Amino acid sequence: MEHTVNYLGLIPLFPLIGALVLGILHMCTCTKSPLSEKLYGILACIGPLLSFVLALVVFFQLKSMPADSRFLTHDAFTWFSVGDLNITMGFLADPLSSLMLLFVTLIGSLIHIYSVGYMAGDENFGKFFSYMNLFLGSMLILVLGSGPVVMFVGWEGVGLCSYLLISFYSKDTANVLAGNKAFIVNRIGDLGFVLGMSFLFWAIGSGGFDYLSLRENAHLLTPGIGLVVCLLLFVGACGKSAQIPLFVWLPDAMAGPTPVSALIHAATMVTAGVYMVARFSFIYAHVPLAGSIVAWTGILTALLAAIFAMFQRDIKKILAYSTVSQLGYMFAGVGVAAYSAGIFHVFTHAFFKALLFLGAGAVIYALHHEQDVWKMGGLKEKMPKTYWTMLIGALALAGCPPFSGFFSKDEILFSTLATGHTGIWAVGVAVAGMTAYYSFRMIFLVFHGPPRNKEGFDHAKDAPAVMTIPLIILAVGALFAGFLNLPSLFGGGLNVSKWLAPSLIDHHPHVGISVELLAIGASVVAFAIGITMAYKKFGQGAVEPKYSGFAEFCYNKFYIDELYHNILVRPYKGFGSIIWKSLEPNVTDIHVKIASWLYQKAGTAFKVFQVGYVRVYAIYMVIGLSIMSLLLSQSLN
Amino acid sequence: MFAEWLFTGFSILSVLGAIGLVVFRHPMNGAMSLVITLISLAGLYALLSAKLIFAIQLIVYAGAIMSLILFIIMFLNVQNEDLPEEKDRFLYMIGGGVVLAPVFFFLKRVVQSLPGTESTIVGNGFGGVKEVGLVLFRDWLLPFEIVSILLLVALVGAVVIAGKRRMGK
Amino acid sequence: MIQDYLILSIILFCIGIIGVVSRRNVLVIFMSIELMLNAANLAFIAFSRFHQSMDGHVLAMMVMAVAAAEAALALAVVILLHKHKSKLDTNVFSLLKG
Repeated sequence: MEHTVNYLGLIPLFPLIGALVLGILHMCTCTKSPLSEKLYGILACIGPLLSFVLALVVFFQLKSMPADSRFLTHDAFTWFSVGDLNITMGFLADPLSSLMLLFVTLIGSLIHIYSVGYMAGDENFGKFFSYMNLFLGSMLILVLGSGPVVMFVGWEGVGLCSYLLISFYSKDTANVLAGNKAFIVNRIGDLGFVLGMSFLFWAIGSGGFDYLSLRENAHLLTPGIGLVVCLLLFVGACGKSAQIPLFVWLPDAMAGPTPVSALIHAATMVTAGVYMVARFSFIYAHVPLAGSIVAWTGILTALLAAIFAMFQRDIKKILAYSTVSQLGYMFAGVGVAAYSAGIFHVFTHAFFKALLFLGAGAVIYALHHEQDVWKMGGLKEKMPKTYWTMLIGALALAGCPPFSGFFSKDEILFSTLATGHTGIWAVGVAVAGMTAYYSFRMIFLVFHGPPRNKEGFDHAKDAPAVMTIPLIILAVGALFAGFLNLPSLFGGGLNVSKWLAPSLIDHHPHVGISVELLAIGASVVAFAIGITMAYKKFGQGAVEPKYSGFAEFCYNKFYIDELYHNILVRPYKGFGSIIWKSLEPNVTDIHVKIASWLYQKAGTAFKVFQVGYVRVYAIYMVIGLSIMSLLLSQSLN
Repeated sequence: MFAEWLFTGFSILSVLGAIGLVVFRHPMNGAMSLVITLISLAGLYALLSAKLIFAIQLIVYAGAIMSLILFIIMFLNVQNEDLPEEKDRFLYMIGGGVVLAPVFFFLKRVVQSLPGTESTIVGNGFGGVKEVGLVLFRDWLLPFEIVSILLLVALVGAVVIAGKRRMGK
Repeated sequence: MIQDYLILSIILFCIGIIGVVSRRNVLVIFMSIELMLNAANLAFIAFSRFHQSMDGHVLAMMVMAVAAAEAALALAVVILLHKHKSKLDTNVFSLLKG
């Protein structure tokens, strides 16, 4: 068939092979004679770059196909087959996954190149790139999977790599605990995902459990089951994409190296939840209630995270909460059935958030691992390339026209307003203002004003080229990516939405131009207010304030981590301790103990016969002979 | 008639000798009782027309082996104080008798269920040297040779076990 | 008939076992074993007489040869034991007792 190609499987395979090779090389040589970092660097970047080339090939091949049958499949092998459930390891490239492919491989390759510079001198250099390649391979399996089960394979893989990379600096226990937290919270989400998948299979899975078949059979879903499936799948998305109530792992995940934060916790892994909801748009579109729940959860998360971001002092935590907030926007978009708007925001967010993280990494690198913004300042002259690229990123994040973030965020806000979710729209506009405030708070505190730490400031300089060139490339993307989806108001053709249309069941409301102008106007006004307030408070250099009252409450993130710890973690640990101390020794171990006690007693009892005299053993033989003859004389009867 | 009296006499003698062997405290007394048993057994062999075995029993068993045993007893110079205190040997004997009673009765039953054969008259040559030799060197040649090796091994073993310690040990 | 000889053989054998089981003197034990061997010999000869075959005689000779060899070796061991502890009590040699 014209739809079957064989090279789709290679796209995740190249990074996975790279991970294997790098892992073996590292394990065999790290203690005795470490290999050169250049070798590791080249080996590590080959896989992602090859995948990017193949992603371009896929894109152009899809472009050349007619719009109504625009997909490519590749069924690699049958994984298992039980009853009605036939799972093949298959890959599906349709417009949605090809778009995800493009930016995942591009940003992945750029971050790999950046990491060669950032991680220089680390003793576990090879291990880092092995994990990064493994992550990229898993993410590509997730994106390219032809069905929910294959996606789940990738889902678990990226969760694992997130854990491995967060606890990369494993000598410090706090990092390992952060990794544990990420994995465990993720796992809670995964339970929802598996349950959702099971319900889906039970309801409509007998005709084949891959996306194309499910899409055909989606009309067979009853509304009740549909709601249950949508909500359970969304629980999985909450875990992976850090929405309420499972967002607590993302700020802690900043304990990992900065390229990890950029790749995993900004651009790719956390967007997997949004991708999943968009993928299952054929189910979500039939259950508007689920969409509303998704949208409200998303926008409330956006609000909460934006409030936290306004008070943080660690530069990476500001960006982490910003990521949670932007993810909330994406879920608000897909929740109101504007799936292409949500995916477009994923696309632009990947560029500017990765840019901001990599820039923050450059700043941290220059200041020798100082991450507190109240100890930075005035770096504008010392690190110009970093400053200008981060400024572009911040403007995109804040939603300043004509940067990419403005167009994507505006598309989402317009969709919420146009479908009648005015409450969501109002909160969204407020969050846009807060976004502008905290992103420029960060820029002003780091780069403007007098330096707060003299000696750090003196040694600071721009990062080496291997780190700044990816920054520049990403800045170009952050600047111009918006123009790919210009709405017709500005003369564009909504190209991305048109491209994505065959994969999604979008809901394009037909409203007048006035609504669109209102949405755009509100966004611009919110941006202006936010940046002005940030300038007034921080533009001319500010000192660290003492928080009290509500501000202190926000600074401590509403004490949510402590709440979870006391309500969930401590009782659970107490329960485990009870089982360990009293249940196990008395209930489960008792049988083993009784058996061993019986053996000992029996052995002691039989010890009586083991006298040391051979004559006594001869007597035993005679007794045996006597018994035998008794038995034989019985049988003689 | 006469044969039956002989049989009864020899049997009683052998049983008395066996009981004496088990009951007497000093091994010398026991050895003497065993000699009585062996000689009466030789008589029984003769009653069974086993001429060669009768002779060999007297020469080898009652002659060589028992004199060896007596020699060792006298060599070891067994005094009364060397002998173990066997106060409860009668208890053990009675216990042993009780335990062995089933064995005895079982074997008696087996034996009595054999078809009762009248003692047929055997020819002159039965049990003589020539007959035994013919069977020995025709049908039983291999065991014969192996037994000779066995005797050699026993000889060497006895020398090694009881011999003098080597110089310098 | 043959049963009488066999019953006599059984009696002698049982007396021999009783001797092994109940006495502690090494030499008496050894002589009881010789008694048992003789009982077996008697059984062989009796069967051979009543089956008109020479095999029993030959086997009895083999048994006697083995008994002789065994006597030599056992007495050598008895001499060694007596050299060690100058006692003839089997209960004294209790190295197997753990």
